Amino acid sequence: MRKMHYLILGNCAAGLNGIEGIRSLDKKGEITLISAESYPAYARCLITNFLIGTHSEEDLYLREKDFYQKNGVKVLPGKKAVRIFPKEKKVETEEGKKIPYDALLIATGASPKALMVKGEEKKGVFGFRTLEDAKQILKRAEKAEKALVFGGGLIGLKAGYALKKKGLAVEVIVKSPRVLSRVVEENSSRLIAKWLQEKGIKIRTGLAAREILGDKEMSGVLLDNGEEVKAQIAIVGKGVSPNLSFTEGSGINTHWGIVADNYLRTNFQEIFVAGDVAETKDLVTGERTINALWLAAQEQGKTAGINMAGGEKAYPGSIGANAAEFFGLPFISMGCLQARNGEIIRERKEEKKFIYRRLVFKEGRLIGAVLVGKVEAAGIYMALIRKKERVENLMDELLEGWIDYGKFEKILEGENGFRETVTPDGRLIKLP
Amino acid sequence: MKRIFVDEERCLGCRSCEIACAIKHSHSNKLEKAIREQPLPISRIRVRKDENNAIPLQCRHCPEPSCVYACIAGGIRKDEKTGLVVFEEKKCVRCYSCVMVCPFAVIKLGKEEQPAVKCDLCQEEEIPPCVRACPTGALFFGEAEEFQELMEKRRKRGEKDALLNTG
Repeated sequence: MRKMHYLILGNCAAGLNGIEGIRSLDKKGEITLISAESYPAYARCLITNFLIGTHSEEDLYLREKDFYQKNGVKVLPGKKAVRIFPKEKKVETEEGKKIPYDALLIATGASPKALMVKGEEKKGVFGFRTLEDAKQILKRAEKAEKALVFGGGLIGLKAGYALKKKGLAVEVIVKSPRVLSRVVEENSSRLIAKWLQEKGIKIRTGLAAREILGDKEMSGVLLDNGEEVKAQIAIVGKGVSPNLSFTEGSGINTHWGIVADNYLRTNFQEIFVAGDVAETKDLVTGERTINALWLAAQEQGKTAGINMAGGEKAYPGSIGANAAEFFGLPFISMGCLQARNGEIIRERKEEKKFIYRRLVFKEGRLIGAVLVGKVEAAGIYMALIRKKERVENLMDELLEGWIDYGKFEKILEGENGFRETVTPDGRLIKLP
Repeated sequence: MKRIFVDEERCLGCRSCEIACAIKHSHSNKLEKAIREQPLPISRIRVRKDENNAIPLQCRHCPEPSCVYACIAGGIRKDEKTGLVVFEEKKCVRCYSCVMVCPFAVIKLGKEEQPAVKCDLCQEEEIPPCVRACPTGALFFGEAEEFQELMEKRRKRGEKDALLNTG
């Protein structure tokens, strides 16, 4: 067989797993990787820890130094793809070079959305996405006293958390009535906000920025209630949008993101997509969406890589799920959390201890869960949601956090690649 | 690969396995010292118990582990040679992503700065201490086929015992 030439755009979770997916089947093919950033693949989510100071730059690197060389990957760092020609099977870079491919993986990720206010270009206004962002923030934080965070999502809160830990005064400004409105429901949101406030992070809801004040460097922010707040740093955490402008005119189907089929193929046979730029089916709602999450990016990258090398691995779909810990309080959320149409909610509250658990059932199946404070059982819920198992008789047991393991093991047969199981009466069952 | 198997019917819920595991993962490796360590050593095996049933649970070293994909720090890998799911504890940032996806809920986090931990199958031991500590033989360490044989034997003997009792 002729040597394949694989081209990967993007060097984070999806691209990296793409390499490993390809190499699990094809040891010989050539791999070229185009990376907008000049670092080796690093743990993007850990820029929080880099900012706090517990992790060095090297600590963030995801693989050994010789990973690319060992896997025969030619890396083009600091380069960007600007156009794709699917008919010619070529990708054009910024400097006009055309790189041919037999199979292409688009794993270009996403970029922070802008605040869209006057003065945003001033020094001191940052997104919180890349190691470079974190380095710049770190530099400025040395002589700053106060930071404003715009957006109450996980990115904003993580940035605020890190800056608070560095000793800055932190104020989180949220347009919606509560923090984490896209991550957890009201009860958890209230608990987490209360916890953060007790630890010294100020949270103000129903407010937005109108203008960034100052000369070249920002000195404060004018809010939309007319108030001026002095601050030397502003973090923009208003969500991300997928990096897909280079697909314009290529004929590649885009909607929210680049549209992926069940094998993470685009509408072109030899073009695949994975990670924050990929629009896939949501496992719970069945709707098409971008679940821009580390877990999804890694799984998708690996699956796409395998399929690029001729494998036939189906991707079951992504699930919206988040986990984090702030000042020692952990929380995990997954799936659908609201009752809209016949969903049954079971919950348990111990607000004084900052403990909350909520399970959402629909038609006898678990479709969502959120846990605050005590989160150990979360993975069981995740498995049940993914398997779409009927659990109407287990609702109360599930709320307790543990179910009869005999029943549970049956439910989990085949999960995580198990091909065999031994039953209590000693039979070895090989699973298909 | 060799794994830990459980004969559920034999588990009495005595938690001897938990103590043996905690001692093994303590600094001193001695019970009398381990119980005074701060923070307390954490057992990687946990006995789940209700009125009727008890079962010890620990990492199954899944063939396709979802924790590997979930870890945001790149601190978990599936070792192709040994089959082990390996936690690099020093990389842990306590983000709880592995806890979020483990279908067996066997990953534990201690207090404050401690990393997430789970069963490592005690590589340097011939038989893991939890298995050795089990007074009823509910825990077994070996290949699936070996466990199957053992269970087959136990089942036949059980039938014989039942006959003797009724006879």
